[in-house]
Amino acid sequence: MRSPLRTLTRRGLLTGTVGSAALLATAGTLAGCGTKGAQQTEAGCKSEDLSATEKKVAFSNWPQYMDTDEKDESKRPTLDAFVAASGIQVTYTEDVNDNNEFFGKVRNQLAGCQSTGRDIMVLTDWMAARMIRLGWVQKLDKSKMPNVEANLLQSLRGRSFDAETQLAVPWQSGLAGLAYNANVTKEIRTVDELLTRPDLKGKVTVLSEMRDTIGLLLQSLGHDPAEFTAAQFDDALNKLKKAVDSKQIRRFTGNDYAPDLAKGDIAACIGWSGDVVQLGFEDEKIKFVVPESGVMLWSDNMLVPNKATHKANAEALMNHYYDPAVAAKLAAYVNYICPVQGAQAEMEKIDPDLATNPLIFPDDAMLSKAKVFMALDEAQEKEYETKFQQVIGA
Amino acid sequence: MKGQQPPAGDLRLVDLTKRFGVFTAVDDLTLAVPQGSFFALLGASGCGKTTTLRMIAGLEQPTSGKVLLGEQDIAGLRPYRRPVNTVFQSYALFPHLDIHENVAFGLRRRGIRKVGDQVERMLALVQLEGYGRRRPAQLSGGQQQRVALARALINHPQVLLLDEPLGALDLKLRRQMQIELKRIQTEVGITFVHVTHDQEEAMTMADTVAVMNAGRIEQLGAPADIYEYPATAFVANFLGQSNLLAADAGGRAADDVLVTAHGARYSVPAGRARLTDGPAFLGVRPEKLHLADGPDRVPAGHQHVGGVVTDTSYVGVSTQYLVRTAWGSELSAFAANSGLGGRLAVGTAVTAHWDPRHAFLLPRAAGADDQTAPLLDGPPVGALP
Amino acid sequence: MSALAHVPASAGKPAPPPVRRGRSRLLPYLLLLPGAAWLLVFFALPLVQLASASLYDPSGSLTTGYAMTWAFGNYPDALQAYWPQFSRSFLYSAIALVLALLMGYPLAYAIAQKAGRWKNLLLVAVVAPMFTSFLVRTLAWKTILSDNGALVGLLRDVHLLGPDGRLLATPIAVVLGLTYNFLPFLVLPLYASLERLDPRLLEAASDLYASPLRAFAKVTLPLSMPGLIAGTLLFFIPATGDYINAELLGTPNEYMIGNVIDSAFLVRLDYPQGAALSFLLMAAILAIVFVYLRKAGTEEVL
Repeated sequence: MRSPLRTLTRRGLLTGTVGSAALLATAGTLAGCGTKGAQQTEAGCKSEDLSATEKKVAFSNWPQYMDTDEKDESKRPTLDAFVAASGIQVTYTEDVNDNNEFFGKVRNQLAGCQSTGRDIMVLTDWMAARMIRLGWVQKLDKSKMPNVEANLLQSLRGRSFDAETQLAVPWQSGLAGLAYNANVTKEIRTVDELLTRPDLKGKVTVLSEMRDTIGLLLQSLGHDPAEFTAAQFDDALNKLKKAVDSKQIRRFTGNDYAPDLAKGDIAACIGWSGDVVQLGFEDEKIKFVVPESGVMLWSDNMLVPNKATHKANAEALMNHYYDPAVAAKLAAYVNYICPVQGAQAEMEKIDPDLATNPLIFPDDAMLSKAKVFMALDEAQEKEYETKFQQVIGA
Repeated sequence: MKGQQPPAGDLRLVDLTKRFGVFTAVDDLTLAVPQGSFFALLGASGCGKTTTLRMIAGLEQPTSGKVLLGEQDIAGLRPYRRPVNTVFQSYALFPHLDIHENVAFGLRRRGIRKVGDQVERMLALVQLEGYGRRRPAQLSGGQQQRVALARALINHPQVLLLDEPLGALDLKLRRQMQIELKRIQTEVGITFVHVTHDQEEAMTMADTVAVMNAGRIEQLGAPADIYEYPATAFVANFLGQSNLLAADAGGRAADDVLVTAHGARYSVPAGRARLTDGPAFLGVRPEKLHLADGPDRVPAGHQHVGGVVTDTSYVGVSTQYLVRTAWGSELSAFAANSGLGGRLAVGTAVTAHWDPRHAFLLPRAAGADDQTAPLLDGPPVGALP
Repeated sequence: MSALAHVPASAGKPAPPPVRRGRSRLLPYLLLLPGAAWLLVFFALPLVQLASASLYDPSGSLTTGYAMTWAFGNYPDALQAYWPQFSRSFLYSAIALVLALLMGYPLAYAIAQKAGRWKNLLLVAVVAPMFTSFLVRTLAWKTILSDNGALVGLLRDVHLLGPDGRLLATPIAVVLGLTYNFLPFLVLPLYASLERLDPRLLEAASDLYASPLRAFAKVTLPLSMPGLIAGTLLFFIPATGDYINAELLGTPNEYMIGNVIDSAFLVRLDYPQGAALSFLLMAAILAIVFVYLRKAGTEEVL
């Protein structure tokens, strides 16, 4: 005879009470009614612009995506210049670590036409496309952004998800291509080498970002990532699956491939130009390769979400960053592809070496090989993403 | 009975010493415990009695010396290989096992399968029939104590060690258990070595008592012998109380030893004197010290000393008196309340007297003064029926 | 009441407290209120929501919304698609648990019974890794297990690994990561149990013919059962649902069910499937816990 019986009963009673109260309270409201669609329309979800009275703007960006002062890490020269010139206070937050994660963060608010507390958020093409498709993004006033109108790179205008170039303004762009560590392997030139060369077995990573990886594979098969069929997608996926099954591919990565590549734990990978440029500063044996078959061009875009109340201030900020002199300062710090024409000339004043770096200011030959991944509708996105996730093991 | 080993013989400790760092807990101890006897190790806490016991059990390794069981030296054996079991002071019953399994523990460890009958018999012996399925925490202190006893006894050890087993019980229960333990010991005939700081417990139960002090044995013998004729001042005051007067022995005269104390001359029978010459204590137990109105009322053959009653204390069966002597020491005397004499008031001049055959003479360190018993809080030894 | 109590039942039983009226009778319930409200809002409600999400029409989408069709088929579908990750989760965390027990039990025992004045220091050492973030600790293991690291080099030198062998991106790395990350959850409850173990009971066992090994099996182990059970559950449950270790130290071939749920909710946006998988995981763990507690048979834990 052990005596917890009585206390157990009492405890059981209490949890039971709490539990059933919760069930009663919620079962009626939740069960049986499902969820409403997340689609919003311009008419259905109107946003107010308080910019005239509130001189501020909230800016959500990725970490290490803004120039900082060499002496004082907390100072951001180009942003401080904007604050000084416009009188608009900027709340700058580095809270975008992952497109999917960020989507999860703001999904419920935007689906319900509520404020996210952010005026600008920076998201990659495909996520920007999804947001636009869902009607979660405010239309921008081009007349308030003359610099963007004048200086945005030609190849980034009229993208499939933003034909009028009035919803998404590129912050920085980049290439997804091949990278290798020449300390541990010899040069690689093609996607096929990466996926089949025996000496690389188990020392290869590819990106878990479907559009970059599949885009490169589509190109290696002679297909156009900007316009492909479901069958062509399956081709590319099969090619990837073979490399996974043969254990050529070690794992699928986000940004975290960079330290592994530097250490030599992986010899070669599909990676992003900006990372590789930075690794190259420390070890020139780490190299970025644009495969003959083509390379993927992507951008991170500034978007103004629904219910953001400082659109005009946001537009002023975007306009500021399309001043070539400002863009050059930023590019000198972040080392991604600068989407602003005229910045190359400004860069020559700052750092002539960087001005001639094709991974920051790509030449026409390289840009002609660069493709932007096709915009997907929701059904395609779910189908392709599910197939891709199955191959990468999740 | 199954599992019973043939008697191995006496337990003998030879030159047993245990040191913890610089502290000597047990100092060159030698003693013999006859097989089947009830042996008590009596001493104040810290005197080394528990350490001695733990060395017999094997829970402590001696620094030097032997532990002989019959002819075999078991000092090097691990505890679980010794035919010795212990009843611990805290009982140390296994809280996760019921009473039945606690008692069966030792048998099971020796690979004995059928234990039910033995356990039942043992529980009957300690009068705990029907308690087998209870947990130790559900029993009273006295019951737990008996379980601990049963758990050790069931193994029929050569020697059963009892480490202050009654210390946690209240007075009445302790009395009861003392009788019980003695009964059981007589019944099973196993050698019991009982460690206690309770003189009364030792005297009630043991055949032989060893009084320990500072790692050594002061005196060893039957309880009555030790009480009646202690060997040292320590024993005289540890086992009961004594009035010890600083004296000087002045040699033998016929069957007596002559003594001078505080200017008066006394004598002690030679058979009750530990020395014949030199500094000595003249000792008389308080209950052997009688009070009379004056020297002329002292019975023939008694020796006496004069004084004044300074305190009385009535404890039912007896009355305790403090008598201040001319030189300032306070003697204590117990008078049985037998209804024969009246009570003496404080301030009364009295003559304290004793029969020399009840006195004893002990060695005294030169310069040591009188050691007289203080007035007790509780009843003295032997004063209760 | 715990069976560990040594206090004799008869000793000083307190008198029953005087009967109180009014407010003080409500007090226990008032004290319960914050916790209950917290549980209701942050556990019960989301749970019900998750349960209903797992029964949404799987053909729904974010754009159009999900209709509640009581689609119980989501469960077998999810299980069929992801049973390898499911069984892998349980396999990895079971192996990790065994490793953790082999390391953690002696550790907890040593700290509780043998450490003396070093006890607090050692306890701090056990807890210290928790002061850094889970992510940082796991990333540190990437360095430790790195192909060009000292550990792999050593293992290659003694031919425990082939010349091209590696630890990182293998099941070994994931299991080691799980073992390391959740070890304190096992050690601390075990320590608490073993610390209460009265060494005199071991002396008694030894006195009663139990060799050290038997004394461990018959006294130490059963008395540490409450801590052992609490510790294994605290280890096993989060380890099974973990996805960080597989993500950072493994490859897609080592992905566990946590990775799949993560991807269902965040990448593939298949909410019904993600919810169904979450519930399956929860049900499986509950079933295991239930069976385990039945077998272990200790009311003391719950």
